[in-house]
Amino acid sequence: MNPALQGLLTIVIGVGGCVAYFYFSNILLDKVLFPPRGPNAGRNINRANVIRPWLFLAPALIALGLYLAYPVFETLRLSLTQRVRGGGYEFVGLANYQQMLREPKFWEGFNNNLLWLIVVPAASTAFGLLAAQLTDRIKWGSIAKSLIFMPMAISFVGAAVIFKLIYDTRPAGQEQIGVLNAVWLGFDGGIGSFIWLRLVPALLLLALAAGAGALGWSLMKPVLGREGRSPGLIFGALRILSAVLMALLVYLMLRQTIAVFVADLPYGQPQTWLTIPFWNNFFLMIVLIWIQTGFAMVLLSAALRGIPEETVEAAIVDGANPWQIFFKIKMPQIVGTIVVVWTTITIIVLKVFDIVFAMTNGQWETQVLANYMYDKLFRANDWGVGSAGAMVIMLMVTPILIWNVYNARREMR
Amino acid sequence: MDNIAGKKSALTWAVNIAVVALVALWVFPTVGLLVSSFRTGDQIASSGWWRSMLPTEQNLTLRTAGGDEAELVDGLYTVSGNLFAHEGREPLNISAFGTSSRDVGAYTPGETVDMGDGEIIMVGETGDYVYTSVEEMSGRGQRVFVTAKVAPEFTLENYDNMLFNPNNIEGMSKAFFNTLTVSIPATIIPILVAAFAAYALAWMDFPGRALLIAAIVGLLVVPLQLALIPLLKFHNEIGIGKGYLGVWLAHTGFGLPLAIYILRNYMVGLPRDIIENAKVDGATDFQIFTKIILPLSFPALASFAIFQFLWTWNDLLVAIVFLIDASGETTVMTKQIIELLGTRGGNWEILATAAFVSIAVPLVVFFAMQKYLVRGLLAGSVK
Amino acid sequence: MKTILFAGVAGIALASAASAQDLKFPIGEGDFNWDSYNEFAESHDLSGETLTVFGPWLSGDQTLFESMLAYFEEATGADVQYTGSDGFETQIRIDTEAGSAPNIAVFPQPGLARDLASLGYLEPMPEGTGDWVAENYAAGQSWVDLATFEGPEGNENLYGFFYKADVKSLVWYVPENFEDAGYEVPESMEELKALTEQMVEDGETPWCIGIGSGGATGWPATDWVEDMMLRTQAPEVYDQWVANEIPFDDPAVVGAIEEFGWFVSDDYVAGGKAAVASTDFRDSPKGLFDSPPQCYLHRQASFIPTFFPEGTEIGVDADFFYFPAYEEKDLGQPVLGAGTMFGITEASDAANVFMQWLQTPIAHEIWMAQTGFLTPLTTVNTEVFGDPTLKKMNDILLDATTFRFDGSDLMPGGVGAGSFWTGMVDYVGGESAESVASEIQDSWDALK
Repeated sequence: MNPALQGLLTIVIGVGGCVAYFYFSNILLDKVLFPPRGPNAGRNINRANVIRPWLFLAPALIALGLYLAYPVFETLRLSLTQRVRGGGYEFVGLANYQQMLREPKFWEGFNNNLLWLIVVPAASTAFGLLAAQLTDRIKWGSIAKSLIFMPMAISFVGAAVIFKLIYDTRPAGQEQIGVLNAVWLGFDGGIGSFIWLRLVPALLLLALAAGAGALGWSLMKPVLGREGRSPGLIFGALRILSAVLMALLVYLMLRQTIAVFVADLPYGQPQTWLTIPFWNNFFLMIVLIWIQTGFAMVLLSAALRGIPEETVEAAIVDGANPWQIFFKIKMPQIVGTIVVVWTTITIIVLKVFDIVFAMTNGQWETQVLANYMYDKLFRANDWGVGSAGAMVIMLMVTPILIWNVYNARREMR
Repeated sequence: MDNIAGKKSALTWAVNIAVVALVALWVFPTVGLLVSSFRTGDQIASSGWWRSMLPTEQNLTLRTAGGDEAELVDGLYTVSGNLFAHEGREPLNISAFGTSSRDVGAYTPGETVDMGDGEIIMVGETGDYVYTSVEEMSGRGQRVFVTAKVAPEFTLENYDNMLFNPNNIEGMSKAFFNTLTVSIPATIIPILVAAFAAYALAWMDFPGRALLIAAIVGLLVVPLQLALIPLLKFHNEIGIGKGYLGVWLAHTGFGLPLAIYILRNYMVGLPRDIIENAKVDGATDFQIFTKIILPLSFPALASFAIFQFLWTWNDLLVAIVFLIDASGETTVMTKQIIELLGTRGGNWEILATAAFVSIAVPLVVFFAMQKYLVRGLLAGSVK
Repeated sequence: MKTILFAGVAGIALASAASAQDLKFPIGEGDFNWDSYNEFAESHDLSGETLTVFGPWLSGDQTLFESMLAYFEEATGADVQYTGSDGFETQIRIDTEAGSAPNIAVFPQPGLARDLASLGYLEPMPEGTGDWVAENYAAGQSWVDLATFEGPEGNENLYGFFYKADVKSLVWYVPENFEDAGYEVPESMEELKALTEQMVEDGETPWCIGIGSGGATGWPATDWVEDMMLRTQAPEVYDQWVANEIPFDDPAVVGAIEEFGWFVSDDYVAGGKAAVASTDFRDSPKGLFDSPPQCYLHRQASFIPTFFPEGTEIGVDADFFYFPAYEEKDLGQPVLGAGTMFGITEASDAANVFMQWLQTPIAHEIWMAQTGFLTPLTTVNTEVFGDPTLKKMNDILLDATTFRFDGSDLMPGGVGAGSFWTGMVDYVGGESAESVASEIQDSWDALK
């Protein structure tokens, strides 16, 4: 059958079927099973009302159970088995996990995923905050917003093509058609190169390091007990952990700052950006940051606009400068939204597949877990190890899952 | 908002400039692709798209006429004519030419070049040449490398080729309609299923409701990677295999948590009076849902629909696993682009056009219905 | 919804117009073996039946393959749908698992087919196919052995039929560019290396090497290593290596990898070492034809002319020479080859008939008469070869003192279509030959 016709038919059957199901099941309930008439009218109404929610929920619950809940357990089971010749499975315990942990490609994917987890949410949120803060102050802000938001509509694959053009490389001596190489070849090692490739990045890194340091310090403050109230055990531990992480980041950034100054840059040679180990991860991340910044901007802009004017005005009256207003007054009021943005992007990052698949396919040390898993499942045909990889991704989203559920339940009360 | 009046205009300027820079940075990549999709392959290869309005300098390899056209003039075997005319090209202004691949721009037009072995060639600015040899010529004509400025050229041919050329096996038209066939049912079906469930979760009282909502919030983050193998096996067992039905079902399942979440959050906020009044008037839950809740929830329905449409349109992984089979009849655009990235990695006119065909529809939807998308985002993020 | 429906119909119309290809050569004309065609057409009728074929060929190769399929359709009335994918290796696995396998799959590596056969996803060839191949193919028994695997129950069967062979030990060049620069075609590896160094001295870039290939990125480098293996070691060592009787990190193998590494250095390759892994193998020969040329030499198999710029005349605009052996090593004239193997993944009458079609000379001649096709079938008329160079390739095959099948194609899928590929990408990316080789050995061990 013509797929378009089939699609149309599916819409009709799907929609019609749903409507018919809901309509007739309600009729059945009200008219046949528990008619609100006769001697048992009252009891029947009550009974019908007990059952009705489940009528409404049934299709959704079946679909959710089958397509999301069941696979989690099935994947767990598959990760503990191995396929045998001729079909069928045998239980192998944790052997798949052991094999996976021995593979350098797994650790490459795992470490890269960690890198993505730090960089992409942080950069998207930061750019989003910047864009939100700036666009809210100008007349054509809404146009600017929708242009920055636009990449959200572009598929990862489409974005991969867009950025492949940017990273394109032609041999030296030919006209470069990738923007990045064209810009790169504009640097010749003179004073301009020093400013743009050494001084500016170094200053940016220092600023970032300072920011991370400040954040770490503010996280530690309550633990050190200077503000009078001491946090709970779990939150205290979390704060210390984050602070240690921040300290590590500061250290890495300071080291990188020095590296920026002493690095020997190959001026005048076109670079194949996607094959430079370690740094190519960042060239891939830029694609996702480009897509996700709009999302962060939209949420943060709404949150910023939700801040009561009075709090800001009061601060102005008290003589606070714009920085203080932003960090002391506005930031605490939007921190909830920042967490939402951060966790949402974190989940997207953990699932990132298309970008890596389309741009490097995990080569040149850009492997990520989702692509590693795909490789194992469908190239090596090793369902056991592939499922184990999937479970690792699941494990990594679990804290967010628990946090979300915890919040949702708190909200319900 | 700005506190210090005197600095205000300077600050506004700075903000405006910063936003312009930011927007430019964000739009630049897409514009590059769009512009490239309207250029010819030669043009793309010879200059960056940001220079597409300027003439480009291209190196061309042309040939004189072959030895069998040589005439004996003054004791010399001679061929003459126009280099461009032999190739069926429009004449261009030559800025340099060469006769050896080692140095393709060795001579200026009008120069008479002694190539050794008694061979002499003269090439004029318009490509007119005279090539003489002491010995008899044979076989093909002499190669002449010319450097010429080519005027900027924009064309719709790429789109014509990728969309409307029935002989182009790499064309996008089939994939375009397949993508459409995937995304429309996969957008509409989950909405209805989710709407009923959301209504029950928002306005009906039953034990376990809070638990269910929590579970759905939890399912929001389950990576769909986990579902690939188990569901592929499941689809085989119930006899669906790979195909549209499977991909519609999969997209429905994966889209439901977000749909229920957005819709429930919206429905909870509807005024309680309306629903209770209707109940007092004797309306059943089914009637309340279809007559009151659904129409009132239109904004939320629209925002989820946009999400789901963008997601299904742009999806690659679900399509590879659940839809695309060896018949090749069901390929979608994202997959087609992946194939082209491999086989046509250097042909940017093809790649750019293919990519732009695939992102055009989402962009239209995005700009037309941005309001609902933003609303959905604000409602759909877990708070 | 109406518009979508209409649009969908239009899309279908376009698609079917695309598949109905005209016959490339009029039936009954030329030196073709039309008798075999007529005989086949008379004895088979598949009107109304559909045959799906799935393979790795895209763009140019796809057009060529479909030009052959058109004759099968014409002869039998069947409707053949060919689909090519750059991700063939993964897609065929998903499809066989999902029970949506095509009727026929075209395997670029027998190793992958062996995996599928052991899982029970391949149908054994019809009775008698093996005998036919042994009889009618040059070195017939070796082709049979290459396609004989253990099935799901552990019993051996013939699972594949080779159609289209490639000679891999070829170096392509542009004769006119050689003329301009005064270079001579090298006769030995020593001369080839000297020529390479000479070109660098002259300020030119000798080689164009691209090992990109979508999901299969890395395979062109495995061909290099195999070729170098045959040029540095005895054929027996090569066989041991392919069977993993000597470990992958044996000094002999590491040495071969490093021989390849000699050519992949920044000055020797267009775009530098970094460009090797990121350049698609289909794009890389184009550098030969640029003006000024980006490179002078390109080592690739006999199929590569399909990807030369349109209008390139083989033998005139571009030519090839045998990738020579070391004179001092005295290993003769080894030749590396490969072939694509057709397997039945979903049995049907049409699939069996198609396998018989592949046994007719005409099925080979249609592609032979165009470009990039060699065949071990002895009953074809070699007069129909599309260009004289194809004959020259056959000569290389005949002159070979040693012929070996592409080793990576024979290794288990996880190595030959997995870690060997990615290992080569890592090697080109700067990792040492030893560590790459030992990683590949580890992955081989994990499969046992």
